[in-house]
Amino acid sequence: MGYFVGADTGGTFTDLVIISEAGDVRFEKAFSTPHDPSRGVINALGNGASLLEIGVSDLTAQTLRFTHGTTVGTNALIQRKGAKVALLTTEGFEDTTLITRGPMGMNLGIPAVQALDYANAKRPVPIVPAGLIRGVAERIAASGEVITPLDESAVGEMLRELLAQEPESIAVSLLWSFRQGAHEETVKRIIGELSPSMHVSISSEVAPVLGEFERTMTTIVNAYVGPVIDRYISNLRSSLIEMGMRSSLQILKSSGGVTLPERVEREAVGIINSGPIGGLVAARYLGGILGYKNIITSDVGGTSFDVGLIRDGEFEYEQTPALDQGVPARTPAVKVVTVGAGGGSIAWTDGRRLHVGPQSAGSDPGPACYGVGKDPTVTDALVVLGIIDPANFFGGRKQLDMHRATDAIRVAVAEPLGLTVEEAAAGIYEIVTARMGDLVRKVTVESGYDPRDFALLAYGGAGPAHAALYSASLGVKELVVPFTSSVFSAFGCALSDVRFSFVRSEPIVLGSIESADRYDAVFEELEAQALAEFAASGQNANGLTIVRRVDARYKGQLNEMSILVSNSQLVDAGIDSIRTLFEEQYESRFGAGTTSSGVPLEVITFRVDVIQETLKPELKEFPLAGEDAANCLTGTRKLYLKATGAIMASIYDGDRLAPGNRIDGPAVIERRDTTILIPPGHTAVVDGYRNVRIKEAAK
Amino acid sequence: MSSLVLDPITFEVIKHRLWQINDEQGIAIRSISTSTIVVEGNDFNVGLFAANGDLAVAGPYVTSHVTTMDALIKNVIETAGDDVEDGDIFLCNDPYMGALHQNDVAVVSPIFVDGQILLWAGNVVHHADLAGIDEGSFCVNATSVFQEAPRYFLKVVRAGVLCRDVERTFITNSRTPEMVAMDLRAQIGAINVAVKRVRELSDTYGAGVVRDVMTQTIAYSGELLRERIGELPDGTWSTEVFMDGDRVGSDEILTVKLTLTKSGETLHFDYAGSSPQSAGAVNATDYSTYAGTTTPVYAFLCGSEIDWNSSIRKSVTVDAPSGSVVNANYPAAVSICSIGFTWLTAVAATRVIAAMLSESEKYRNRACASWGVACCGNNVFSQGSDGELIGGLLSDHRGAGAGARANQDGIDHAGTVFSPLSYMSNVESQELKFPFLYLFRKRLVDSGGPGRFRGGMTILAAMTPFGTESVTWKSQNTAGSDQSNAAGLEGGYPGAGSQVSVVRNTDVWQTLSQHPTGTDIGAFGGEVIHLETKSEGVLRRGDVFVFHPPGGGGFGDPLDRDPEDVAADVRDGVISLEAAVHNYAVGLSTDGSVDYVETAEQRNARRQISATQPDTSEALRSTSGTPTPTKCPRCGRATEIGKPTRWTSPLSAAGPWLAERWQGNSPNFKLLHTSCTACGSEWDVCEVAAPDDTSPLPAFSKGA
Repeated sequence: MGYFVGADTGGTFTDLVIISEAGDVRFEKAFSTPHDPSRGVINALGNGASLLEIGVSDLTAQTLRFTHGTTVGTNALIQRKGAKVALLTTEGFEDTTLITRGPMGMNLGIPAVQALDYANAKRPVPIVPAGLIRGVAERIAASGEVITPLDESAVGEMLRELLAQEPESIAVSLLWSFRQGAHEETVKRIIGELSPSMHVSISSEVAPVLGEFERTMTTIVNAYVGPVIDRYISNLRSSLIEMGMRSSLQILKSSGGVTLPERVEREAVGIINSGPIGGLVAARYLGGILGYKNIITSDVGGTSFDVGLIRDGEFEYEQTPALDQGVPARTPAVKVVTVGAGGGSIAWTDGRRLHVGPQSAGSDPGPACYGVGKDPTVTDALVVLGIIDPANFFGGRKQLDMHRATDAIRVAVAEPLGLTVEEAAAGIYEIVTARMGDLVRKVTVESGYDPRDFALLAYGGAGPAHAALYSASLGVKELVVPFTSSVFSAFGCALSDVRFSFVRSEPIVLGSIESADRYDAVFEELEAQALAEFAASGQNANGLTIVRRVDARYKGQLNEMSILVSNSQLVDAGIDSIRTLFEEQYESRFGAGTTSSGVPLEVITFRVDVIQETLKPELKEFPLAGEDAANCLTGTRKLYLKATGAIMASIYDGDRLAPGNRIDGPAVIERRDTTILIPPGHTAVVDGYRNVRIKEAAK
Repeated sequence: MSSLVLDPITFEVIKHRLWQINDEQGIAIRSISTSTIVVEGNDFNVGLFAANGDLAVAGPYVTSHVTTMDALIKNVIETAGDDVEDGDIFLCNDPYMGALHQNDVAVVSPIFVDGQILLWAGNVVHHADLAGIDEGSFCVNATSVFQEAPRYFLKVVRAGVLCRDVERTFITNSRTPEMVAMDLRAQIGAINVAVKRVRELSDTYGAGVVRDVMTQTIAYSGELLRERIGELPDGTWSTEVFMDGDRVGSDEILTVKLTLTKSGETLHFDYAGSSPQSAGAVNATDYSTYAGTTTPVYAFLCGSEIDWNSSIRKSVTVDAPSGSVVNANYPAAVSICSIGFTWLTAVAATRVIAAMLSESEKYRNRACASWGVACCGNNVFSQGSDGELIGGLLSDHRGAGAGARANQDGIDHAGTVFSPLSYMSNVESQELKFPFLYLFRKRLVDSGGPGRFRGGMTILAAMTPFGTESVTWKSQNTAGSDQSNAAGLEGGYPGAGSQVSVVRNTDVWQTLSQHPTGTDIGAFGGEVIHLETKSEGVLRRGDVFVFHPPGGGGFGDPLDRDPEDVAADVRDGVISLEAAVHNYAVGLSTDGSVDYVETAEQRNARRQISATQPDTSEALRSTSGTPTPTKCPRCGRATEIGKPTRWTSPLSAAGPWLAERWQGNSPNFKLLHTSCTACGSEWDVCEVAAPDDTSPLPAFSKGA
């Protein structure tokens, strides 16, 4: 029997999903090991093998694909534990990454309300300090024309002085290098001559796109985390080979595709923040099975609430995600919007209003019911309200203290506001749930869509405890809690495709026949490069799909919109074909009547994705048993909700529920790592893939 | 005592939803607009207003817009009278009805539920050009409102139907009609979003509940603000800020004089003594003066903890003398007020608020005396090869620095206090759009005001015409070529001024063919001309245009700065070696480490000099707003015994980037120092208008 294996490292647990060739899905967890995350991965493999009742070497030997989602890059960036990077840039512009486009360096990537906190605002510490930045004598103009030729001997001299400071990695980003890469390539060559083992990232390779601040930051981050990720992946790969794994290790990227160990150093920046993307890959796949092309995903963790979108079976992309405060990256990432509203969000009051967050107890000290912290959190409210059973949390792996939860809410919130503990807990739950609904709505509407056209997928341990309430108010078609809810990102890892992304900015105003010729030529060059690199990676180049996108705008606009375009020649299809695509998407986003017929279109950036669909198992569909779930009923419990007050709810053992079973709210379905609330007036049905599908009963 | 009637949970849920709805207005505007001013400058804002026009929910964009909008909506309500029906959208840009200036077009609409106005949704967008005597409608050459962009009061949508005749009239007057048309679309689109969403909200919860949440939001933040003001010490704080040059060809000095009186739970700002209104377009109306004055109240007193809304009017009052630069009478020209006197009211108010906060034990760390004190605004234009007008406002002014705080350095390149979300463009984006080649854009060394905590740095940008025969510039720099306005506090020195310069007839192209031009204005020959704050002219091939926005002021005596921080600043290229010696009296070894023996000697010697300066300036008042302490904060000597001495020096003592037109020694301004006669520590350092009889003391010599 062959296995498809996905492993995803998270803050607390390393999740593992094993799908057999027959389509049977099993999953396990192991504790994460922050000092050497590969230990956690190997432990999870061990646990997985035990689950299958085979030896770990049998599992590794029979693994057909092993795909890994890692936070090594994210952590190196956030904790500023990357390589010592030096930056070479165009003379006269050495300060670009220190100036950071003014307030952007401070306010990008933090909530607006935090940007308004003038008294305490602080810029993050630059990744490359001023002392490790050097100007290169050269200058290229917007057209690609060389204004000042590169002074090679000056570069050599400057490098010798710089190398004395012992950088571990060098980033090179020159003005307009994406129009004319020769200067950067020469600089790279000179570095190689002087220091053959040096890690080098050049902007015309890492992010050949318009805008020197973002391009340079992307190159720096790549240089910063590249050596760290490379080291980690090399070690993990050796361990897996030692354990008998023969299939190639694949690494998930934030673009939703996977890359290979040989390429991680060069694509390092694209591996950062890939964690939540696995969930979207899984959601897309599951949507395909369930017949949903429009899906909203929502994931509740200890400190954050993440929302993503799948529209027409495609991911939404964000072209310049903020990887950290003040750190934009020009690397295409599947869009996931995060707010700080999770199980650890702290409730507080000033005696008049009830607030939830933005402070979080995280996992250390954690919610009051964990036994250490004193502040009441959302998780404490769930315990008090009866939604979470303190004796059966994380499959009984963690005992929760109901008294601590009650006390924390009483002292910090209920008494100051003159509420009962239940009323206060219901308030906390209501506020945080409404806020989740507001974010889901914002994300959908921002992209020009209506939530009523979508199904909502809720996963993560706590997500399904909130989702039914806000999904009802959004009017989504259906709420789905996947079978693999608690390991959904790892599930996605096992289902992801190989994806190489290539990009280049070359501003072209579409109009003349020459502009169409140039457009076709740029795509041809990019595709040739993409196919050559694919072949060089040693992958079988059969069955490739090539996807073209352009980032276009009305001439004069500042922001581009990314549109999917056809692979045929523009000279043949005609420029109007692009215009039609652009304006359709524009109107769906900004409303009818917002297009400008008189203004020419300008293409700024060209994108080519080469996708190789990986071998995937077909998930096993189980036959439906009857509706009656009585044999899984484990008892009843008092629930307290704001709308209903105290009610009695049926409690079900979710791990024993059979396909076809039907449960009417009020009820709580308890799975080993997931709590699902079925509110009054809602009905849950277990489908053939063991997903729980929840609908509001017709009124 | 709580003002809440609704249960706190429903209140919180609906309040968040209203915030979200308002945010969706902002998303619509940013998405549709074609204007850099909107998309990168975020020069717009969105708000939700109670039925009577009170602002309840403000967006996070340019603060002054939402403050002026609630005055404006009240005027719309009054002017429109009975002619308000469901589906109407009004447009108004009349500064004498409450708009900040003519470019800032407010679009407001009543949202009806069950035949009654539940609330108003509104937004303001800065339009790129709405006509008037100068391109961009910042009319540097106007002498009355009749030479500026037309003042509109229009119903652009009537009962849900777009009035095409009205739309066309509004658009057709602009020099950039396509951009204006798109921005108007954006504004109407934003209103449509808000109307739809508010209706959904009121369907779910009922109009009464939504109305109560709006009212209580305002009442609640009012309570919090009054409480916070109540925690501050009572007192009065005064300051003066200056505009050097109010129109092209003028370097007349105009003054904003401001006294803040804090008593109990109220703040009162009084502008008595400010200059009479100007013949130029820099004047502020009383509406925009209120908006400018309250900006730092929001930013530093409310911060992120107290909602920014109309409740402020209950506890913050402003008096500005009629006929002055801060309350100009019709038909005074006002089109540049946003970066003219409105800007300066915020600068003055920031300073007195900082002085007040510095006396509060609890809120002392919020004291920040300056933040982007001048808008170094430069519009540039040229003819494209096909005859079209290309160009617009450069965005590099958003690299300005912020003042230091009582516990930390000022923020480098913080932008403006009006808008935390205004960004500079990339050099590459600018070169794609403007007929310029940038020669350099760098941090301006020594631009942060010296202090125990250093002021934030600004930038220096230089460019030369490229791909065109000539470029016309129009500069509307707020102030800062004669003095800086970038005050520090408690002995902190002012930061860099704001200066626009032209270098004529350089050999920049010869230099560039072999080597970049370096980063020094003098590196490519030619004649350097430091311009007055308002200027216009033509640049030709080989000319260089160079400018820097202001830096931030310091906090505390620079001689008290940790020498290690001084060494780090030298190492990071934030200050020069000369500044380490002259401003901070720190001795550094050849490897850059601190020489503590030398430092102690230098600092003692310097304090000795300060302590023994003869008091030459009895007549001069401090204008930084720093209160005179009752005893020396450093040596503890009581003021009555160790009477401070006041003495002056040229502005260049603060750094090399003040009064560049006067080589650092302006005949109009001096640096006034107040120091302890016992220990020599400096209590206050500020820029003051120099009376004729003050003979300047020698400056500490500066590195270039």
